Amino acid sequence: MYLYLPVALTSINILIPVGLGLAVGLLSGLFGVGGGFLMTPLLIMFGIPSTVAAATDSNQIVAASTSGTYAHWKVGNVDFKMGFHLLIGGFIGGLIGVQGIKILRAMGNADFVIKMTYVLMLGIVGTYMFIESLQSMKKARKGNEVSLTESPVKESAVTKFLKSLPLQTHYEKSGVTHSALVPIVFGGFVGILAAVMGVGGGFLMVPVMVYILRMPMHVVVGTSLFQILFNCIEVTFLQAYTNHNVDFILAVLLLLGSTIGAQVGTVFGRKLKGEQLKIILAVIVLVVTVKIIFELTLTPSLLLGQAGGH
Amino acid sequence: MRNSKLKAKRSKILSLFYFLNLAFFGLFMPQDEAFAELTMDANHSHIKIDFFYHGSTMSVRGTADPGVDLIIKLTSPDGHEVLKQKGKIAGLLWMNVGSLNAEHVPGIYFLHSTKKIEDILSAEDMERYVIGYPALAKHIQMSPVANEEEKTKWFNEFVRFKEDSRLYSTSTGKISLTEKDGKGNYYILTEWPYQVPPGTYTVTAYAVKDRRVVETAQSSITVEQVGVVKTFADMAKNNGALYGIISIVAALGAGFGVGLIFRKGGGAH
Repeated sequence: MYLYLPVALTSINILIPVGLGLAVGLLSGLFGVGGGFLMTPLLIMFGIPSTVAAATDSNQIVAASTSGTYAHWKVGNVDFKMGFHLLIGGFIGGLIGVQGIKILRAMGNADFVIKMTYVLMLGIVGTYMFIESLQSMKKARKGNEVSLTESPVKESAVTKFLKSLPLQTHYEKSGVTHSALVPIVFGGFVGILAAVMGVGGGFLMVPVMVYILRMPMHVVVGTSLFQILFNCIEVTFLQAYTNHNVDFILAVLLLLGSTIGAQVGTVFGRKLKGEQLKIILAVIVLVVTVKIIFELTLTPSLLLGQAGGH
Repeated sequence: MRNSKLKAKRSKILSLFYFLNLAFFGLFMPQDEAFAELTMDANHSHIKIDFFYHGSTMSVRGTADPGVDLIIKLTSPDGHEVLKQKGKIAGLLWMNVGSLNAEHVPGIYFLHSTKKIEDILSAEDMERYVIGYPALAKHIQMSPVANEEEKTKWFNEFVRFKEDSRLYSTSTGKISLTEKDGKGNYYILTEWPYQVPPGTYTVTAYAVKDRRVVETAQSSITVEQVGVVKTFADMAKNNGALYGIISIVAALGAGFGVGLIFRKGGGAH
């Protein structure tokens, strides 16, 4: 059955957005990412104008991440305090990032810089996560002896420095103690990059929480969804208010799938180990990286496109 | 992208056209071939876009002098479009390198003819009535283009982009011509793609003889959003803040709702 989308000004078979929502919602529930890096290009492929695709996706993520946060919260996997501190940082970072884009655009060649940053970030994050989770899976297989002796020695200069910062706070749910400045600064860093690249930043936030904040993977997923929820509320409102690009009907079709997908993802996620989750996410990030590299190097079928999107 | 002043002007001109059509049902052009009688009737002069709209069909029929060839053009008033240009950076990577400004661009351009246009119409008349892609290429102004070669390249890319969006198309031989009682009847049934946005469009039939346009007849088509579709589109455009809040609240509600259903349904962990 086809429905007409009033803002996208196109007609779509309802099975497409519901199916896409289900798949991307599943990823949200599993890995704590918004999935915009998959959803937006897929929507464009199905004939949705790029600006509408991005704006509507953020509306849809509000629903998927509410569903996912709720599911993770029920099993005690959301660290609200940590999420809140990351949000403060992310908000400030977003403001700086928006200015950053303006400067980049004024300098010219902005698209080149943005695309390159995006590919590099995806590549580095994906590779690092892949190698790290592979190693920890091997270690786990060998037994705990090695890791028991190794972990106390591992306290590096960076860790020492982080411990010397003021405002040391204990994050109960995550079972870690950090200066409150750490999540704020790193949240800000992700916020800047996300704003510049025009993406939600879940794929950056998750590794920051795992490797820098040392949070357990399952709490990372829940907390990431919590802060994605707030980011996407803000983005949806701004898109609707200033750009008039949110297609409500399309968002409803997407969220029909994604809210359910997020619940299913959460259930699946609890059956997997942290390392397994990390390595699958790493593979997805690497596949997306390769896909973008192909897009950049193969001759596109059309040399003209709508103005306004990425 | 759209200029409201231009729009108002356009709709004024178009309503005038429409009025003239109603009055004469077929506009006669001052041509020497006398007595011809070209009429036109488009079956769908008012297309309504509702929730279940998935495009429409459009049939145009009328009478014409026997022995003429016919060209039917469906188009919209000229406008201005800005498109992103992709190009190679550092000889390796494809990305957006700039934007292409195009003036005097019809939003849609569907052209049907009984025979190949170059075989039935002189270059002069093609240009005069903007019939065919070569004539359109001269009609549309593009910038920045350094030379003719570049202009041709980008015009071809432009047509490919429009054809891909199903907003431009051409066909030959789809118009059927029959003769009855010394009168010619023509008929064409074409698809009206759902990608065509709301607006007012013009259908023009050209009767062609001896490589010249001898007559034209015109009619207009209005494509309009109605009902729920119109309500949402208007609200998104005119009341963005409220629209945004409703979208967010609905998404939050759906997320919580599904969460609750799963808790009840799922029960045990």
